[in-house]
Amino acid sequence: MSVIDILTRVDAICNKYDRYDVEKQKDLNVSGDDAFARLYASVDSDIEAALQKAELASKEKSKASAVAINAELRRTKARLLEEVPKLQRLAIKKVKGLSTEELAARNDLVLALPDRIQAIPDGTAAAPKQTGGWGGSAPRAEIKFDSDGQFDNEYFQETETSSQFRQEYEMRKMKQDQGLDMISDGLDTLKNMAHDMNEEMDRQVPLMDEIDTKVDRATADLKNTNVRLKDTVNQLRSSRNFCIDIILLIIILGIAAYLYK
Amino acid sequence: MPISDPDKLISKADKLTKLSLTRWSADWRNATLLYEEAANLFRVAKKNEKAKEAFEKASKGQEMLSSPWDAAKHMESAAALAKELGYWNEVTDFYRRASELYMECGRPQPASDALAKGASALEDAMPEAAVQLYNDASAILEEDGKEQMAFDLYRAATSVYIKLEKYSDAASSLLQLGLAADKCNATNSQCKAYLGAIIIYLYAHDFKQAEKCYNDCSQVDAFLRSDQNRCASKLLSAYTEGDIEEIKRVVQSSTVSNLDHVVIKLARKLPTGDVSALKTDAGKEEEEPLDENDLT
Repeated sequence: MSVIDILTRVDAICNKYDRYDVEKQKDLNVSGDDAFARLYASVDSDIEAALQKAELASKEKSKASAVAINAELRRTKARLLEEVPKLQRLAIKKVKGLSTEELAARNDLVLALPDRIQAIPDGTAAAPKQTGGWGGSAPRAEIKFDSDGQFDNEYFQETETSSQFRQEYEMRKMKQDQGLDMISDGLDTLKNMAHDMNEEMDRQVPLMDEIDTKVDRATADLKNTNVRLKDTVNQLRSSRNFCIDIILLIIILGIAAYLYK
Repeated sequence: MPISDPDKLISKADKLTKLSLTRWSADWRNATLLYEEAANLFRVAKKNEKAKEAFEKASKGQEMLSSPWDAAKHMESAAALAKELGYWNEVTDFYRRASELYMECGRPQPASDALAKGASALEDAMPEAAVQLYNDASAILEEDGKEQMAFDLYRAATSVYIKLEKYSDAASSLLQLGLAADKCNATNSQCKAYLGAIIIYLYAHDFKQAEKCYNDCSQVDAFLRSDQNRCASKLLSAYTEGDIEEIKRVVQSSTVSNLDHVVIKLARKLPTGDVSALKTDAGKEEEEPLDENDLT
């Protein structure tokens, strides 16, 4: 057989068995007036999308993006769980053209929905199983905030290395603070000493001035005295007296030599 | 003169000075020389009593010779010997006389030095007299306008007062130090003096005085801008809150450790007695003004 023949035959078979195609029925039903079917279809597709996202999250290497995706998943799950009671109400309603079996089936489907929603993996270690009825407020309790205690397991892994780093940083900071304290003490002492030295210098300035004047006076006196002394000595040692002294000395030496010869 | 026996010198000199029928006017010049020699010999021989007397007489001789400078010098030596002998009254008298003689020379500096020396000699034996001498010495310097030299005197007077446990007097002498420092623009000493005064008032349990003192000192610009001011305000606020730990911490700080030794010792003992009582008093005081504020 040729390809075209196979294709046509396949098409014919598909058309024949289209009735049994659940997906297609669902799609057909979507365009119908059945609100339940519509809502159910949308919820279903959301669940599928969420499952896909969960797959993506588990494959994600970067923890940050994984966390973000998980958060989104949780939000989606919460939203979907909110839709469930609506679906329940719609399921119970009788819609024309619907058999009782289908009605029961719808109910079962709706009941199975929450489990399916919960089963979407979003990084929770142990999702709490809700066993009670679905009251109006129950879905609210299911809404989890991002910073819930249950999610710490993942976060701890992250911060083990960073907490060590933080510890080291704190230690180093403390040591630096200690060193700086010691330096500041030393500087205080230096400052005090410098101030005292400054005051001491200020104190000594007038004393130095006094010393200056007194010493000037003393030098002037000395100069005077020196000059006068010089004059006196010159007078004493005038040449005439000097010659007389020398001649007399020679005479005495001559007499002495004569006596001892 | 080759006579080396100081006693003989003394007797000779006495004879020169004593007026009698044969001698109508005393020969002070020679007498003084003899006295000085004798005194030196006595001092070398460690005969302090005789040396002291000899110095007294030598000083008198110099006075007669109208040289107050030498007279004062001899008086000082006499006083030093008297101190070693332990004749405290004589020590006071001699140093005062020496100071007067220095003032006659017109030299206030050595005058106050003499009084200061006397005071330090008497610190242990007669602290009240010592304090008196310190105050007189500082007064002389202040008159002369040389307050800078007075700082040490005020500090010494403060330490003696603290030893005598006269805390208000001690604080007032520190405040006088502050005043003197202010005239010389010695801001560091001034601020330290004020902080010391506040600490002394706190030690004496006189919280109100301390606060008053702090308020007065805050009027002074230099103090207001200083480290010591911050330290004082921390201390006072710690007191009003009754926080003993805080007081201890402030006292250990380097600002307080730069003060005078005696003041540091007081500061370390500071949270004396009932800090909580002060706290309640201060608290009550604070409440009333708040009420007034609310009404207005």
